[in-house]
Amino acid sequence: MSDRFNILLVDDEKDFLEITTKRLMRRGYNVRNATTCSEALLIIEGDWPEVIVLDVMLPDRDGIECLKEIKRKRPSSIVILLTGHASMQAGRQSMEYGANDYCLKPIELDELIEKIEIAYREKAKTRDISD
Amino acid sequence: MMILNALKKFFGLNAEKSEAETSSLRRSFQDHYRSFRSLLTANNIALELMAEMEETFGAGQSFSMAFVRGHCTALTVNIYKMVQHLHELSNGKYGGLTGAFNSISVSIEEILARQPKIAGGKFVLPLAEVDIHSTEQAGGKMANLGEIRNRVGLKVPDGFVITAAATKHFIDSNNLQDEINRRLKLLDHSDLEELYTTSASIQQLITNAPLPEDLERLIIDQYEELARRSNSRVLVSMRSSALGEDSSNISFAGQYRTQLNVTDDMLGLTYKEIVASKYKSQAIVYRMQRGFRHQDVIMCVGCLAMVDGVVSGVMYSRSPRDPRSDWIVINAAPGLASQVVDGRAVTDMFRVSRNSPHEVLARELRVQKTASLSDRQAAELAGIAVRLEEHFGLPQDIEWSIDSTGRIIILQSRPLAQAAPVEESGMESIEVDETQPYLLGGGVSASAGVACGPVHIVRSNIDLLQFPEGAVLVVAHPLPEWATILNRAVAVVSETGHVTAHLATVSREFGIPAIFGIAHATEKLKNAEMITVDALGRRIYEGRRDDLLKNAPPPSNLMAGSPVYKLLEEVLRLITPLNLTNPASPYFMPSSCETFHDLTRFCHEKAVTEMFSFSSRYGFDEKGAKQLVGDIPLQWWVINLEDGFREGLDMKDKWVRIDDIVSLPMLAIWEGMTAVPWKGPPPVNLKGFGSVLFQSTMNPSLDPAVRSSMASKSYFLISRNFCNLSVRLGYHFSLAEAHLSDLLTENYVSFQFKGGAADENRRFIRVNLISEILEKYDFRVEQKADALTARIEKKPAPFLIERLKVLGYLLIHTRQIDMVMEEQDMVDNYRKSILADLEKIVKPEKENMP
Repeated sequence: MSDRFNILLVDDEKDFLEITTKRLMRRGYNVRNATTCSEALLIIEGDWPEVIVLDVMLPDRDGIECLKEIKRKRPSSIVILLTGHASMQAGRQSMEYGANDYCLKPIELDELIEKIEIAYREKAKTRDISD
Repeated sequence: MMILNALKKFFGLNAEKSEAETSSLRRSFQDHYRSFRSLLTANNIALELMAEMEETFGAGQSFSMAFVRGHCTALTVNIYKMVQHLHELSNGKYGGLTGAFNSISVSIEEILARQPKIAGGKFVLPLAEVDIHSTEQAGGKMANLGEIRNRVGLKVPDGFVITAAATKHFIDSNNLQDEINRRLKLLDHSDLEELYTTSASIQQLITNAPLPEDLERLIIDQYEELARRSNSRVLVSMRSSALGEDSSNISFAGQYRTQLNVTDDMLGLTYKEIVASKYKSQAIVYRMQRGFRHQDVIMCVGCLAMVDGVVSGVMYSRSPRDPRSDWIVINAAPGLASQVVDGRAVTDMFRVSRNSPHEVLARELRVQKTASLSDRQAAELAGIAVRLEEHFGLPQDIEWSIDSTGRIIILQSRPLAQAAPVEESGMESIEVDETQPYLLGGGVSASAGVACGPVHIVRSNIDLLQFPEGAVLVVAHPLPEWATILNRAVAVVSETGHVTAHLATVSREFGIPAIFGIAHATEKLKNAEMITVDALGRRIYEGRRDDLLKNAPPPSNLMAGSPVYKLLEEVLRLITPLNLTNPASPYFMPSSCETFHDLTRFCHEKAVTEMFSFSSRYGFDEKGAKQLVGDIPLQWWVINLEDGFREGLDMKDKWVRIDDIVSLPMLAIWEGMTAVPWKGPPPVNLKGFGSVLFQSTMNPSLDPAVRSSMASKSYFLISRNFCNLSVRLGYHFSLAEAHLSDLLTENYVSFQFKGGAADENRRFIRVNLISEILEKYDFRVEQKADALTARIEKKPAPFLIERLKVLGYLLIHTRQIDMVMEEQDMVDNYRKSILADLEKIVKPEKENMP
């Protein structure tokens, strides 16, 4: 596995957030979480997370709008959308707005970690080259 | 570094320029390689998703709309990625791809988004205006009842229907649908507790919503009309009549709510409760099992004057176990019909001849000493059953009542759910080996079949929640609500009940064996005890009885023909067919891509070509092909994509030795290729050789002069974790590709094999043999004529390494054997020797699976 990078989980489902945060931390990742888009944007300003796992339905903003905002503020962010609502259109749009992946709930933790690792590796290689 | 550069510049070294160029090329190549890797991962995921969809479609297991929608979405995302990565790799050379991708995606989205049409704008319809053509307004059950009243001319209860348009009006005016859909989408069907909670919450949401005033007014008006016609404030029964119930093999038996004795002040609330009963837990499970989208089922509600049934029951116009039977089965009990169908009442059973004068052939009296039906009444009922079957053209399942004046009133008639006719004869003639000891016996065979599992006694909903997958459901009464767990039960045993109970109907539909009427079953059987249920023989045996189980019929496909099944079929037509099979064809281009599979094939092929040709396009020798040298069979070239060579190797060399290679998948293939020395070409009989000559003249692609540059030699494209091997050996072409890493999502082995020198028949036999061997080694194989593709995904690297050895071995040892692939004993010999070799080469499962 890659070095343990920082992950921001954004989801308004408290149970999911709590359990996933705990489990990811147990696997050695640094994890913080947010329940709204504005909260997430604040954490991003601190330039902290490397990977953002973002729910598509947030109380204060549509997840895809939130994705746009994140990419506008910090284009290098790695964003994985996670949603219980499978929609081809939302999937396509998310990718067009720069998401690195679009995954469906329920998702096994191991699968989520693989998605995060793959997105991180794909991105990390670019950084090596451009730095 | 800056000083060094400055010094070089000062001395006017032109090497400096080429070094900058080299490092820029190296960077560009790295970028390409990164896109290539990402494209392969997306390809791996996409192919796995497609295989899952095809498998699910073909296997006859139940699947939900969430499955279809989820897979389509994940596919879209991954194919989008492939298209993007190919754009990066090729500098946008294949502009048409995005258009092709968008048009396929949009077509699939349109299919998924399709909504059922609601016919007619009337919110209420008196039964006098309803017939079979009103199904889309009144639902199947009420349309049938109207048909029986108005076209067949039989007596049915007076009443009216609250239509699909009314229900839509009710749901829309309260904005309920989005919220219902949201709750359903989040539902994990495998979690029973969650199922109950969600079901209850949705039903509550609906019953709490106010009825629109105009609709309430219309319902009251209709009731007043009914009261006027009946000359009294009649009590009514309110029954569900859902759209989608009209299919011949789909009963929806007992799924929804029926309310008897409704007074006029309760009409509105009861209507809402019946609309809400669409989301009862057993209904949600049933739709899921039978492939109905929730949105395709729309509740209509029948409102019928109560019948003062003196004796009531259910009859089948033929035996449910044998559609060719020439008798009618009637179940009857004193009182109302609802007690018979919900499985509680003890009933008398009559078997009546289908032929006039409808003689009673057999009777089983279980209620009292005297029969609940006279022979004359039984004959009259039988006549009606035959009439209804003739009118509707299918065996019927009919609910009836006889009122205080002796008139027969039909409450419902629907197609009879048939079990597969496993036996020529009826149940009584089934031979049971009487010498065999058994735990319990007797009762009636409510649904044929044999199954084995641990006992799980269910007395309450709490017991239901703990119901283990694959257990035998044991209950006191066959209540319709137990149907919620029929998708996880292997058999049903009930102390009471009869073939006409709803639970029996659903058991037959699901192909689950059921014995009803086995006294004291819940006392005599113990939880977790393993039993075998032989429903046709009406016996329960201790333990697992393979001798009985082997005679059980295979499970039927519950989904075939259902709306979700048809929808997946339609969607799959835009996903899985592969039209782009030949990269050398002029039609191998973006605009020819008609399916997602075509897109993946195109992107993969072009990505490999881009990587292959990078060095020649940019004159970048470092990434050029090097010939493999040493004591090795045949000729091979190697292109290093990233870290496939050992460190310190001089990149300018034109040669490379196998010791210089550190690519794990390439080394595994190589091990398989060299583990057993090739014995040389097989002795060819003249006929086989003649067929080779003939093929050479017939097939221009076998002519060495017309091969493309890539196809003319055998190449390994490698990195430490990746290998793409294209082989042209003699007259056949094959391609092996693999990625091995610590992330399962990226891992795969794929193999393509095509062609050969011999005639079609011999090539075909060879491909068959290779298929068979690959399947033995866990590959998923697809074969079309003499072409074969095989894949394994998402397995740990050590497991895949052993499979790569198999491919390496086959690549070397199956060359030219197509020439001798005619005599069966020859084929058998090759099979035996190949399998023996592979056994020595491949490590057994235990050692390579974690």
